[in-house]
Amino acid sequence: MASRMPVARPGLAFALAVVTAALAAVLMMLMLAPPVEAAGDPIAHVRVAPPNEIVVRLTAPPADPRPEDFRFTEASAPDAPIPVTAVRVEDGNRVRLTLDATVHPSQHYRLEMTRPAGARDVRPSALALMFTIFLSSALINNFVFTRYLGLCVFFGVSKRRETAIGMGITFTAVIIATGMFSWAVFTYVLKPLHLGFLQVVVFIGAVAAVVQFLDTMLKKTHPQLHRGFGVYLMLITTNCIILAVPLLNAAADASAIEAFSLAVGSGVGFALALFLMSCAREKLELARVPKSFEGLPMAFALAGLFALAFMGFSGLDFFR
Amino acid sequence: MSVEPVPAAAPSAGELIRNGILTENPVFRLALSLCPAVAVTTNVTNGIALGLAVLAVQVLSSVTVALTRTRIHPRVRIPVYTLIIAVWVSAIDMTLAAFAPAVYAQVGLYVKLIVAFAIIISRLEMFASRYPLVPSFWDGLGMGLGFLFALMVIGALRELLGNGSILGFQLTPAKPLLFFALPAGGFFSIALLMALFNRIERMMGGTGAPSGGGSHGV
Amino acid sequence: MSPDLPILPAPPRADRGEMFRIAMNLTLFSALAAAILGGVWLATERYAAAARLAGEKRAIGELLGLGESAEVTEVEQFMAAAAREVVYRAHAYGDDAGPVRTVTFSFEGELRGREDLAAPAAAPAGGGAEAALEPLGRMFVARQDGALAGFVVEGEARGYKNRIRFFVALDSAFQVAGVRVLEHEEDPGLGAEIATPWFEGQYIGRSAGDVAKLTVTKDPMPEDWRAALAGLARTPVADWRAKHGALLAREGPKPIYAVTGATISSRALTDGLRTTVDHFRRRWALLGPQLAEGA
Repeated sequence: MASRMPVARPGLAFALAVVTAALAAVLMMLMLAPPVEAAGDPIAHVRVAPPNEIVVRLTAPPADPRPEDFRFTEASAPDAPIPVTAVRVEDGNRVRLTLDATVHPSQHYRLEMTRPAGARDVRPSALALMFTIFLSSALINNFVFTRYLGLCVFFGVSKRRETAIGMGITFTAVIIATGMFSWAVFTYVLKPLHLGFLQVVVFIGAVAAVVQFLDTMLKKTHPQLHRGFGVYLMLITTNCIILAVPLLNAAADASAIEAFSLAVGSGVGFALALFLMSCAREKLELARVPKSFEGLPMAFALAGLFALAFMGFSGLDFFR
Repeated sequence: MSVEPVPAAAPSAGELIRNGILTENPVFRLALSLCPAVAVTTNVTNGIALGLAVLAVQVLSSVTVALTRTRIHPRVRIPVYTLIIAVWVSAIDMTLAAFAPAVYAQVGLYVKLIVAFAIIISRLEMFASRYPLVPSFWDGLGMGLGFLFALMVIGALRELLGNGSILGFQLTPAKPLLFFALPAGGFFSIALLMALFNRIERMMGGTGAPSGGGSHGV
Repeated sequence: MSPDLPILPAPPRADRGEMFRIAMNLTLFSALAAAILGGVWLATERYAAAARLAGEKRAIGELLGLGESAEVTEVEQFMAAAAREVVYRAHAYGDDAGPVRTVTFSFEGELRGREDLAAPAAAPAGGGAEAALEPLGRMFVARQDGALAGFVVEGEARGYKNRIRFFVALDSAFQVAGVRVLEHEEDPGLGAEIATPWFEGQYIGRSAGDVAKLTVTKDPMPEDWRAALAGLARTPVADWRAKHGALLAREGPKPIYAVTGATISSRALTDGLRTTVDHFRRRWALLGPQLAEGA
């Protein structure tokens, strides 16, 4: 089977190229996004400081700010202002407001000021949002150990470390491509035309199309790579995760950044799960296992132990 | 223009059904379509719901392919099978949403994922594309029943141990072993049941090893 | 019998005619598939929408103990961010073609307008001139035999895993009549226990003022209170309250007992309830008179 072992470095390069290109596109989007503040806006930046404070950085030194100069509301309840109980001026044009309720950086708020007049939407930065979703889909709600998706392929490919790594990399590259393609089709074609009920057909079609495209492209451009990775590509089509990611994005009506983060997170989570499992299974081959448990049953028990361990990630919160 | 010459004799209905439930039980023996087997079986009701959905999709797809296999161009048969399955899955998904909303809220995502199950498309490729309508129907039914049976057993084990109830009827005052209701418990339940099936199969004279194992040869 | 996906051997290069036939074949099947799905969707969408509606109606009826003759008004709240206004659309629940009353307030609570329409405008909120409206939430006002029977407010809380969507029912004196968790993604056996009658029942009977100061304790729940709460699954709320008056009086001033191993989920629901009830009281003070006038 040596000839079927994936050639690690070119494969790595290929996959990394895809991922890097995608990342570069996203970063460019973020950087080229128009600056949020308009000229003459007195508010430079607002930061939520849990449990019940916010820090406002102004463009000019504050002139005797009082609680009644500020109006702070949750974005979803603009008619119910959160009372500001205290105001404290700090150096660097900063004002610290103490509020009568708990606030959290992951929520959306709106701050309005009267003297001088200004307003700002307070929401988590795009990077923070991406990281939260990434962390959630890779660790907290790991697709294999918490959501039990992708098991079919998982147990097949996790026997050896090299194959696990190969599959993990391929999968991450493919899911980013199919995830974003499906997102685009859903957002710009299905949703405006109210064709949501065609989700399943369209997404599986998108998956098949992208996989076929990658397969053909790889066969022409890097035949050697294709021999190593081709079999994984075909397997990916029946992997539940590859369909679950577009479905979840559609159900949550995700934005491009959210969809991208979920795709990357799920790919990395799957790769991580594969890698961990393969390391353990290699050791398992040397162990004495009861006859009835040989093979898959023991692998399942192992997966159960990993799932237990992953439960420990449950309360992980990037913002805390 | 069929795929291959039709084999001499199609197995009988009884054989096909026994095959689906025992010898080639999709979950315990072939180790296919494992995702829902763990995810949805926190209780018996959800397991039955998804099992019935898969049964319906399997039977309907097998029948559809058996009827149209002469019209499908062999070079695009995999995409067409996928399309057929996707159509039936969407139809069942919409029907469940309309007529069983409470259940649908629990298993909705997994019903949509049926389209990615290897078991269904492999059955179509291996059986329904080569045999006429009636044997394909029995084969689909057998596989579907095997899947339903597997989900029910896992669901029963997890609900009984994890919640102390069956089908919603509380049997014990407290939860015996909450662990079984959690994801990790799902994995363990399947491990135990698979081992049990292997043991039974060995006692009945077989090899005791799952013939599939999702190994895909690698 | 290998269940693997077959790796097809590379077929010979197809000629133009062959490719065209393949393409036609695939197109035909796709068109058929789309037609079938469209038909199924048309047939089932009505029922799906009706099922969603029926589920909510039943929940509202059970929470407030409503009878058959009750009338429920649905009030949807929207925000017009640019104009700094909140817009309320009130209409009979489940009747999308009946009369609609629209009341508009500024963010600060000043009445900006009230309009009655015999039938809703051509497009519901979200299209045309109302495109700038962003939905904020819903509340329901129930009347029975001519008197106000209570309110049900839809709320959302940030749970341990994801959002928790719930209904909180208030009687005409703004006391909690019941809580029902509608959607959540908490762990089964742990956080998911907040969606059970015995946890939700703890809030019953507390006044809005109590809810504003409600805390959660990790202390174990007294056995008699737990046994009484378990009965909520089988008994209508009004009967249950009558039967356990003494227990309610004793437990009312106490904090909510958290689910063992799920303190965060318990706190999340309590905090969400507190915010929802507080917002509702504030809004109803402004909205109530506007809906009652000339209704």
